[in-house]
Amino acid sequence: MTSAPLALPSLPTRNRSAAAQQALVYAEFVRVGFINTLAYRLRYYTGIVTYFIYVSVYYFIWKAIYAHSQRIEGFDFGQILTYIAVGWMIRSFYYNNIDQDLAEQVVEGKLAMDLIKPVNVQAMYLARALGESAFRLILLTLPTVIILFTVYPLRPPRSVVHFLAFFLSSSLSFFIVAGINFAVGTLAIRLKSILGLLRAKYFLLELFSGLLIPISFFPHAFQAAFAYMPFQYISYIPVLIYLGKLNGVFILRALGIQFFWVVALISLGDGMWRWSSRRITIQGG
Amino acid sequence: MPPIIDVKDLCKDFRTFRRREGVWGAVQNLFVRDRITVRAVDRVSFSIERGEMVGYIGANGAGKSTTIKMLTGILVPTSGRIIANGFVPYRDRRKYTKELGVVFGQRTQLWWDIAVVESFKLLKEIYEISDHDYRQRLGVFSEILSVKDYLYTPVRKLSLGERMRCDLAAALLHNPPLLFLDEPTIGLDVVAKDHIREFLKEVNRVSRTTVLLTTHDLSDIEELCSRIIIIDRGKTLFDGQLADMKARHARYNQVKFLLKDRSQVGRLGEVTNDGVSCNRLDELTYVMRFDRAKHSTAEVIRSLVNRLEVKDIFVEEEPIEEIVKRIYITGGLSA
Repeated sequence: MTSAPLALPSLPTRNRSAAAQQALVYAEFVRVGFINTLAYRLRYYTGIVTYFIYVSVYYFIWKAIYAHSQRIEGFDFGQILTYIAVGWMIRSFYYNNIDQDLAEQVVEGKLAMDLIKPVNVQAMYLARALGESAFRLILLTLPTVIILFTVYPLRPPRSVVHFLAFFLSSSLSFFIVAGINFAVGTLAIRLKSILGLLRAKYFLLELFSGLLIPISFFPHAFQAAFAYMPFQYISYIPVLIYLGKLNGVFILRALGIQFFWVVALISLGDGMWRWSSRRITIQGG
Repeated sequence: MPPIIDVKDLCKDFRTFRRREGVWGAVQNLFVRDRITVRAVDRVSFSIERGEMVGYIGANGAGKSTTIKMLTGILVPTSGRIIANGFVPYRDRRKYTKELGVVFGQRTQLWWDIAVVESFKLLKEIYEISDHDYRQRLGVFSEILSVKDYLYTPVRKLSLGERMRCDLAAALLHNPPLLFLDEPTIGLDVVAKDHIREFLKEVNRVSRTTVLLTTHDLSDIEELCSRIIIIDRGKTLFDGQLADMKARHARYNQVKFLLKDRSQVGRLGEVTNDGVSCNRLDELTYVMRFDRAKHSTAEVIRSLVNRLEVKDIFVEEEPIEEIVKRIYITGGLSA
């Protein structure tokens, strides 16, 4: 399932064995991305603490907000707490640093090393990030889930079906974020220094994805606009599925739109790459 | 058979912005930027036959790295044509790089934090190397480059020399017919350099791999290449056999000699005259340098042994560095 969107940009009309070989190449990038992350194990131990602190901060904030009301925008306190905690749990594996990696490669003049390999650069970045996310799922997400469920009164998923749909949905979140990050990262090729831009994107993504506040808390005009953007499909939609606020055909529709955004964003990144790569200048030597 | 690399009228322009000086200049820069175009490579043409080892040299900023980056498909030429191994590098990048080996001495294509062998395994898949070929080549590299000792070490823990060996092995794992080396010996000690040169010779001999290398160390060229291309300020100054370059551009010969004892030092003035200079190397060793057009070596030696008591004499060609330096200065015009 996970490798299908990956292969999209790189496999137009080839015979099957060549396609299989291609898949194998990118699977190898996933593997190396996974073991490369081992070198940074320590970072993830501290990550567990960081995520716990984030959720705890929001626990106290929302507790204060809910002190005088039972329900806000259809969420009771237990739901909002679960909403925030589950949002951070999935964030711990769907996020990636493709944008920063790409920007760093450009600034340090290392993009040359990506280009001398006979691979689709976008697929390579996505595959490496996928390997890293798979690693984090085990080393960061799992312990975070256990700790948060132990410490806070979080609700379980609405049903097994909801959980499975939620799992699929949050996997697609990875590809949406990866698609956005690669596309934004390619801007570094033309603009060179995009650190400010990346920072802005980071905060925008946290806010518009619904990680900090549910989208239904935004003014209606915003909500209407968000419906046509990919951001709420990163966090808001998967967590609504978890909570059972989306059901039946609406779940399928949400997954369908997510899948559409995955394809659209990966195509956008592919186009951005083509547009930028003719303008590559390698800095330093 | 057509040449493996054919470059015709290759040009590369970089557009950059002129920065104004001072505080007011910085403020102006925010609103108006002057575009300037810098031509890094200017109508360079050459062709290289299969199996050749060619040295591509030039001062810093001469345009050699830019050329290599166009040849490897990283940069798109502004104008001109490159056909390499039957491909247009930037256009057919993925097909072309599949049959290409590249080493940038200042960078590594290996994964920094994981064991070298994991990078090799990744390359095995990327280049679709069969198990048999992979094992066999790894065996050969282990022996000649002695990479075996560091296969299970993360790259960040390797010394520069060890890393360079692994990078070379990585670039040749798929046995490419064409190999580009951008300063492969930069920063290496004498032993490591020698190791790498021997390996490259062996690869060229056994697999007839075509090698184009840039370097600042001209002894690399003397050891490895019979042909040399000199570029400066984007233009080709010389393209030909190393021996030809020496014949055409060497102006001086050198005679190094060892005096019999100290008493001879005071009489050195007698041998230096019109067009013959004499420099001290150490207490008793001196070197005379003279214009080949004005004096014959035999004549210089005769006058030397007639006037001084000399123990040893060595006749030397002008060092290649000197010749190349002169070519830079004169712009390649024959002396």
